[in-house]
Amino acid sequence: MRRGLWSSFLVPPGLWLVALYLVPLGLIVAASFGTVDFLGRVIYSWPFAGWDLSNYHTVLSSAYLPAFFRSLAYATLATLLCLLVGYPVAYVIARYGGRLRHLLVVLLILPWFVDYLIRIYAWIVLLGDNGVVNGWLGDLGMKGDPPVQFLGTWWAVVGGLFYSYFPFMVLPIYAAVDRMDSALVEAGKDLYGTPWQTFRHVTFPATFQGVVAGVVLVFLPASGDFANAEFLGSPSTTMIGNVINGTFNQGGYVPLGGTLTVCFMIGIAAFMVFYLRSAARASREGGL
Amino acid sequence: MSASTGAARPRRRKGFDRPRFLWALYVAVCLYLFVPILVVIVYSFNSGKSLQVFAGFSTRWYRAFWNDPQIKNSLVASFEVAAATMVVATILGTLLAFGLARARGRMGGSANILMLLPLITPEIVTAVGLLLLFGRVHTTLSLQTITLGHITFSISYVTVIVRARLALLNREVEEAAMDLGATELGALRLVTLPALYPAIAASALLVFVLSFDDFVTSVFVSGAGTSPLPVRIYSLLRVGVSPEINAVGTTMIAITLLIALATLPLLLWRRRSEPSAAPDAAITE
Repeated sequence: MRRGLWSSFLVPPGLWLVALYLVPLGLIVAASFGTVDFLGRVIYSWPFAGWDLSNYHTVLSSAYLPAFFRSLAYATLATLLCLLVGYPVAYVIARYGGRLRHLLVVLLILPWFVDYLIRIYAWIVLLGDNGVVNGWLGDLGMKGDPPVQFLGTWWAVVGGLFYSYFPFMVLPIYAAVDRMDSALVEAGKDLYGTPWQTFRHVTFPATFQGVVAGVVLVFLPASGDFANAEFLGSPSTTMIGNVINGTFNQGGYVPLGGTLTVCFMIGIAAFMVFYLRSAARASREGGL
Repeated sequence: MSASTGAARPRRRKGFDRPRFLWALYVAVCLYLFVPILVVIVYSFNSGKSLQVFAGFSTRWYRAFWNDPQIKNSLVASFEVAAATMVVATILGTLLAFGLARARGRMGGSANILMLLPLITPEIVTAVGLLLLFGRVHTTLSLQTITLGHITFSISYVTVIVRARLALLNREVEEAAMDLGATELGALRLVTLPALYPAIAASALLVFVLSFDDFVTSVFVSGAGTSPLPVRIYSLLRVGVSPEINAVGTTMIAITLLIALATLPLLLWRRRSEPSAAPDAAITE
């Protein structure tokens, strides 16, 4: 009786996720092999019913490859930046924040609650050609219109991605350092480890799970992002998200959009599987 | 023990052992995170149109925004979608949390994977899928389709937060209630659910904010009628920067920050005797 009761709790949310998460994923795959009718409606190609690979040929032999490459490169750079900044910050809060540490970490998360587009817009206000900083630089006597072109560059896009997803790096690392027994660090020092050695051999391995979670949680959404590249970048910083968005929302050839989405999924699948395995292991071992 | 020996031996404190430069980094990061947002807020009260000159304090852009029926309708629509999403996703997510924490066997394992997947699927992928689904079943895109999409990505957040709290609860209290004659569902209602209220409330508020701020899913599955505020802002941004966006943005900031400030204490709340539950439960697993 008891077992049946708890299992029945899984049914409504399970059905919901199958209908509105799994089935749509299947439709993307079916559309990626499909075509359109004369009204532009998608004709899906179901498995083993004559798969048409022409969309895949188009994607792999075309101008879309640079967009894939840029997504990968920008997301990697943003993730590294988040890690380099996020680790020390999360570490200092968790180890030295004392009673204030929850408050200090909340301060870092708070900006994430501000609407995503407004956060991107904020950088246009600050660094745009007619923005606040260029106004000051002009007042200071810098020549040029605008004095410095901040936006429209690849590093503006990377900076925007960093700004959008930074809390996802800080939170898991903060939790990992917070959980770690600080006596381990003391022990490392008692054994005459230098601070660097103690960090390398004790602290970092003990918090590695948090680093993995942070890297995955920043990289995955950053690689599929398109608003940062659209508003902070230029046509030469187009990411794969921009191409997919253009196909579906600005009247492109829908099956090709499906193919691009499938290729993108394949590109990030390794990250997703890696994360799922570590998360499944964590829940088996009775952690969170 | 080791701490006392450590205190007895004088030691040069440097690098990661001396956090002063790390605190400086913390302050720098906070400035980086907050300054752009503060600039948006300050310039929303600018009486001039320029972003480079602060001409004086005025609320003209707020009046412009309140007199714009399209934006006001979008604000209302965003509230409706977020409220509906909050109710449905919280119920489904809590059910899923109980099922995953207590059901055993293969079904629990695959349900766990199915729950985790939406959390790490880039939103553009789920949005494309939903768009194709609604087209396939001939549903006209509207605020309802947006709500369905928001519920889908919100369920997992609720589940992870509630399940983390559920794992900390002492199952024996529930068993004691049943020894005293409560049915299984009675014990759940009288003992377990009240202990979960902070987590459930926190996840409900988080879902409200996720839905209220959502842009990617909304832009893919919104139809010809009224669109939620972020989609509206997207079309305004495509035209160009205008001080009115500052006013709309500041209003959104005020709404979501108020909700955030109510959520975070709930997430951090715990009894002294309980083991530490860091506020990251939502995403770190």
